[in-house]
Amino acid sequence: MSQTTPLPAPQDDVILEVTDLKQHFPIRRGLLQRVVGHVKAVDGVSFQMQAQEALGLVGESGCGKTTTGRSILRLYEPTAGEVWYTRPDGERVELTQLSPGEMKVYRRDLRMIFQDPFSSLNPRLTVMDIIGEPLVIHRVARGRAEIAERVAELMEAVGLNPNYMGRYPHEFSGGQRQRIGLARTLSLNPKIIIADEPVSALDVSVQAQVLNLLQELKDQLGLTLLFIAHDLSVVEHICDRIAVMYLGQIVEIDDAEKLLRQPAHPYTEALVSAVPPADPDIRMERIILEGDVPNPANPPPGCVFHPRCRYAEDVCREEQPELQNLGGGRQSRCHFAAELTLQGIG
Amino acid sequence: MTETSPTATASGPTLPAALETELQREESRETYVQLVWRRFRRSRISIFGGLMILMLTVLAVFSDFFSPTDPTKIDMKATFTPPQKVRFIDNEGQFSLRPFTYLQVYSFHPETLEPVWVDDEETKYSLRFFVRGWEYQLLGFIPMDRHLYGVEEGGTVYLLGTDKLGRDLFGRVCQAGRISLALSLFAALISIAVGSVLGVISGYYLGWIDGLLQRFVEVVQSIPALPLWMALASVVPITWDPLLVFVIMASIFALIGWTVLAREVRGKVLAFRETDFILAAKEMGASDTRVIFRHLYPHALSHVIVVLTLQIPQIILAEAFLSFLGLGIQEPLISWGYLMRDSNSLETLGVNPWILSPAAFIVIAVLGFNFLGDGLRDAADPYATA
Repeated sequence: MSQTTPLPAPQDDVILEVTDLKQHFPIRRGLLQRVVGHVKAVDGVSFQMQAQEALGLVGESGCGKTTTGRSILRLYEPTAGEVWYTRPDGERVELTQLSPGEMKVYRRDLRMIFQDPFSSLNPRLTVMDIIGEPLVIHRVARGRAEIAERVAELMEAVGLNPNYMGRYPHEFSGGQRQRIGLARTLSLNPKIIIADEPVSALDVSVQAQVLNLLQELKDQLGLTLLFIAHDLSVVEHICDRIAVMYLGQIVEIDDAEKLLRQPAHPYTEALVSAVPPADPDIRMERIILEGDVPNPANPPPGCVFHPRCRYAEDVCREEQPELQNLGGGRQSRCHFAAELTLQGIG
Repeated sequence: MTETSPTATASGPTLPAALETELQREESRETYVQLVWRRFRRSRISIFGGLMILMLTVLAVFSDFFSPTDPTKIDMKATFTPPQKVRFIDNEGQFSLRPFTYLQVYSFHPETLEPVWVDDEETKYSLRFFVRGWEYQLLGFIPMDRHLYGVEEGGTVYLLGTDKLGRDLFGRVCQAGRISLALSLFAALISIAVGSVLGVISGYYLGWIDGLLQRFVEVVQSIPALPLWMALASVVPITWDPLLVFVIMASIFALIGWTVLAREVRGKVLAFRETDFILAAKEMGASDTRVIFRHLYPHALSHVIVVLTLQIPQIILAEAFLSFLGLGIQEPLISWGYLMRDSNSLETLGVNPWILSPAAFIVIAVLGFNFLGDGLRDAADPYATA
């Protein structure tokens, strides 16, 4: 990085810092299962999160958003990179180097909401067992009565009737199931929540409810939220900042408002153009990206976006751009970020 | 934009609170077992199968109670007695409410001079219920001398006739059911346990452990079962403690069945290990043990129970076969297959067809377990439609 503008946030407020996170899955072939290549699902992702902020992580399917979230929580063991978590007492811990036993302590502080409310709840357990499970695992509550009491509290907090704690997940609707998942996530008083497309499996009418609930709880409990989504219009409501991912890399990070109004990366521009404007009279040029996302096992040389970029020039085909600071907390991975004037919303 | 939800607010102004909670209590709270039972009930044939098994089990467990004559008592004067008829109408056509039997006497056919048993119509013994008879220990520790039925002193009632040593065949068959049923259940449980453990390990840890276990399963599966059973069973010394012989025989029968189950459990584990709720459990910090026992294995359990009920009849048949050949169970233990050894000579069988009756019990047991397993297979996964 050439010109370094200091990041806007004071260092002591950073609760999570991800540095050069890589997650390469080996491709095995043949009888001997020899490794013939790697799918670079996440390839050098770095970002910081301030305490109590909501950071959106957007990108199309297969760009590595979900993998990033799971690698941070070590549901997949990251290939490389560091994840620094700042404990409430101010101490910083590097999560990727911890033993599973040590990691378990921090699983209380960093929790995840899963995308699919149908498959993420064990169909054989009652709601009480599901929401209460983290309490049991971390020995926070003992005995059925104590667990039931806490579960009832949590169910109320997410807008479910505690009388239904003896029911099974299949007796609930999608939105209610996601509330159950949310209650489970909140059960250990987490500091950071990684929400992996928490509403994309829900009906549009229910999406807003769950989003509002998430927003409310975040403000109430002072949570830090990493919100993963493929839809900018969902993210813009809830997030302070947005990071755009493409093929395992972050291509742009900026304040949500600024990113939408004035994108600094051609890919962001294309994404933004797909957001339906609130005013039906506004006619915006819809940028249709040609082609498909390249194979992450065999990314194109130079800028990974160049085969689909309408501003691409020779340098893009040869040189890989760095994520450069553009001032005001804005970062873009484009050779021409400073020169291009890209179209945003409004 | 209101989601129809059972939250307190959404339940609306319709029902008074008391009635509402009443409804809630009534409506839900069905445990897994209740759900399975509700679906199981729908299948008549499985209920029937279950009753068949229940009947055999009761007969076996309380066999002493059901045999009016001590089944171990040798009576050389009563060898190969045909089944005695229990009558209500005597030879003069008179009806008596109390059933009775005639004394059977040995004589010769007037023309062929073959020895035959004929009813002595002068001597009637009326049948009584809950009579006192030979002493035994109910369930092995309650001394008793009552029997379900019996006749007056001096008479006999052999419902299925007697064997070559004059022992009551019905009593013997009931008693043999103890070994036949217990052995097959025990063997099936061993096979289920081994198959489950290895299947879960294989499917959960994958890698070289999986490779090794799967190759091992293939090797075991490629060994022809019958010669292996025969070889193993024939080396068990009959002089050993009967209980030990029982355990060894059960292990031998368990040898083959576990491989299929290990494969199936592995498949189930493979199917579930990547689901979100397993990932969610790991995300909470659950240990491997917890993931396996709380989240993975319960999903295979319904299948395992079905396999259990379907494996038992196979083992009953295998045991009967080996015992019939004289390689399985030996006296003093008796099993259905062992009882059929008497009928291995065509001559004896032709004259005394009733000694084949243990075969009927085997058929009932095998059919019963198969019917039961059939219904269980459909019922075992009540959440499948969820």
